[in-house]
Amino acid sequence: MSNSNSLIGNAKGHYETVFNTLPRVEMLVVNDWWWTASCEYADVVFPVDSWAEFKHLDVTASVTNPFLSVFPRTPLERIHDTRSDIETSAGVAAALSELTGDERFARMWHFVGEGRVDVYLQRILNASSMARGIDVLAAEERAKNGVPTILLSRTYPKSVGWEQAYESRPWYTRTGRLELYRDEPEFRAAGECLPVHREPVDATFHEPNVIVAKPHPAIRPKGPADYGVDAGVLDGETRQARNVVRPWAEVEATKHPLTTRDPAYRYVFHTPKYRHGAHTTPVDTDIVAVWFGPFGDLMRRDRRTPFVTESYIEVHPDDARELGCQDGDYVWVDADPEDRPFHGWQQRPEDYHIARLLCRLRFYPGTPRGVTRMWHNMYGATPGSVRGQETDSRGLARNPETGYQALFRTGSHQSCTRGYLRPTQMTDSLVRKNLHTQVLGAGFEVDVHGPTGAPRESLVKITRAEPGGIGGKGAWRPVELGLTPGNESPALKQFIAGSFVQVAKGGS
Amino acid sequence: MSKVGNWQLGREMEFPYEGARPARQIAYVFDTNKCIACQTCSIACKTTWTSGKGQEHVFYNNVESKPYGFFPHGWDVHLLEKLGTGRWSGGTYEGKTVFEAAAPNERVLGYAPDEADYASPNLGEDVIAGTIERGAFFQGIHRAWMFYLARICNHCTYPACLAACPRKAIYKRPEDGIVLIDQSRCRGYRECLKACPYKKVFYNAITRVSEKCIGCYPLIERGEQPQCVQTCIGKIRLQGFLSPPGSERADNPLDYLVRIRKVALPLYPQFGTEPNVYYVPPLHVPRDFLAQAFGPGVEEAAAAYRSAPTDRELLGALLLFGNTPRILHRFRAEAEEAIGYDAEDREVVRVPYTEPFFAREFFDRKNDVYRHNVT
Repeated sequence: MSNSNSLIGNAKGHYETVFNTLPRVEMLVVNDWWWTASCEYADVVFPVDSWAEFKHLDVTASVTNPFLSVFPRTPLERIHDTRSDIETSAGVAAALSELTGDERFARMWHFVGEGRVDVYLQRILNASSMARGIDVLAAEERAKNGVPTILLSRTYPKSVGWEQAYESRPWYTRTGRLELYRDEPEFRAAGECLPVHREPVDATFHEPNVIVAKPHPAIRPKGPADYGVDAGVLDGETRQARNVVRPWAEVEATKHPLTTRDPAYRYVFHTPKYRHGAHTTPVDTDIVAVWFGPFGDLMRRDRRTPFVTESYIEVHPDDARELGCQDGDYVWVDADPEDRPFHGWQQRPEDYHIARLLCRLRFYPGTPRGVTRMWHNMYGATPGSVRGQETDSRGLARNPETGYQALFRTGSHQSCTRGYLRPTQMTDSLVRKNLHTQVLGAGFEVDVHGPTGAPRESLVKITRAEPGGIGGKGAWRPVELGLTPGNESPALKQFIAGSFVQVAKGGS
Repeated sequence: MSKVGNWQLGREMEFPYEGARPARQIAYVFDTNKCIACQTCSIACKTTWTSGKGQEHVFYNNVESKPYGFFPHGWDVHLLEKLGTGRWSGGTYEGKTVFEAAAPNERVLGYAPDEADYASPNLGEDVIAGTIERGAFFQGIHRAWMFYLARICNHCTYPACLAACPRKAIYKRPEDGIVLIDQSRCRGYRECLKACPYKKVFYNAITRVSEKCIGCYPLIERGEQPQCVQTCIGKIRLQGFLSPPGSERADNPLDYLVRIRKVALPLYPQFGTEPNVYYVPPLHVPRDFLAQAFGPGVEEAAAAYRSAPTDRELLGALLLFGNTPRILHRFRAEAEEAIGYDAEDREVVRVPYTEPFFAREFFDRKNDVYRHNVT
């Protein structure tokens, strides 16, 4: 695996992966240009070039970018002893050829050794309807001079559906028409012949994953009884494939099974992506991280803070007060104890200590009550980072062996998430376009029809852990200053009302 | 004390030195309606100028969410409270400026922030005034609101930092109005920190002298806009030069936007320093807050901004933002495009009003390929 923030570090159900899956994986090899959580768990890490250090030409494209992204070869020296990630693959292939005597492994990567990866890139461009006609070396020359290379889509701006709307070309469906009714047997069984609303599989105050609809002739799924399952079984494994239809009037009166067991589980917890970091952003660079929300402090006045900043859960001020929390306090956040942070945590207190989410709480009036948020993209705690924080005199959550820097004291936003599967994304019969051609196929296809996503939200309970003031004494300083929502000083109230000036009417 | 003219106040005011306007004044327009607070400007500035020891808390450029965001903590609330309620009558400010409200033994009314006030530079990010209830929606001026305020040194016409310095270590360049601290004269008394109403002077405990935004003058001197302007991915910024009052030119984009169309307004003009970063006010924010922040012209500025889609000249000036590294000294709005010219009056940028549309042939004979909008 390579170049991601990070395939393991940001896996849904991250600590399930770490504590229950990885121990059964024989070997883990990571290509990365920054020491992410994935590297923390790897047997071998290949340090590879960042975008600024590419010694082999590379290009990429994305559906939302009208230009080909071109990475010209840099004349700069490498800062560290790194290789291009394509060289690590070629090197492994060469070793396999040596071991097996089969030359085909090495031959697959022939042009890497010759420094001519443009041969491969040109083949890819020639096979793409949007890039055929682009000369990759000419594109590199343009890129060096800051001149972009536009992709050769049918129209610019690219407007998906333009050919269908203006030229009556067929859609990428079985009939060639827009299809709003799915009659494949799997969709009929799931009750998803029509576009329907299912309650979230976990992040709802009500019965999870239920199809919200009045009785309808086209919504007649196979229910639990058809599969020989007790309709009352609502655990996480069962309910991801549970087909029950209820009108809203009934759903509204139901409760999430977790809330029924313990009323403290009553907060929807979202983990959307953040503006200050993305997949490949090294979010532990201090001058970037200090902007991650309100708890940044490059001087680290509070030694509990894992880095020069830290992650936090945003909670409506009225909810926070009910929980006995002030803005800036530390809290524990727990999802369904049945499967999170990982199966079997009850018997493994040392691992649980690393995996349980501890973070600041922030007063945030911008979402309705009951709905909370924690930003994605912050580096989670690992065994090394927790050991670092507990032994380092400065309290930095940094792995003393690897330098991995967590933005959590313990746990991460992925302590509360897990993967669920959706049966209608995994059928063998749905007709859809193949990934890189205009040819139609059926069933599984990467990025088109497959289990490609997982919910980034859940239902949680929040428990106060420590006061927010420095070293756990008193309230967080901005609260004392009267500068946070729900704690406004009289001057801040006057400021928000705009009454520090008066404008006489009628003048010009 | 001298009497100097401050066009932003519509009157003369007191200032410790004689008024001496530069030949041309560095000025910026920031369109708050386009800012997304990505902080790319803050990082570009930090990596260029202030990544050293002693500069940990220094951000010459920052973006704060109003009304709950401040860097340093509470800076404008504190000063407004000290200044008391001011009053605008028409275009004239009838309250006191920071110079006029100074105590008898002081030159400027100000305060010294606590060191801890520089923690949490992104305090208040995205926090709204008001709360969101289920079913809430937005229209016109919002009941629950916030906006992003990007801030740098205002390179004021009447700098409070300069006025307060007991060693005359701070000066304003006559050629472009950039305000600089002579670090060899500075002794680190920090009177400038106390006096600057925008809190954009910083003390460096390693060098033991003060420092501030230098307007990226090495770029300015070769005809290029500053780092924070060039790197802005939202294209919210335009840097240029204002002509002295009375000699405005309608084809100078800064004169046009600030003095002629009045679509961009100074931040806290009532402080009296005649700041030179001008903001297109956020359209969705309650007018009382905007008048407190940008003066009495907000209604007029908002109306002008709303008219831009049908006003070729104004649209042209606004479309030149973020489309060239060069400083624009002249612009022209043609039928289909806005054109910008540099100091030598060479054309350096041309921006169409509407994005062009192309449709390629379905079959590209030359390359033997069918073109699609889906890969």
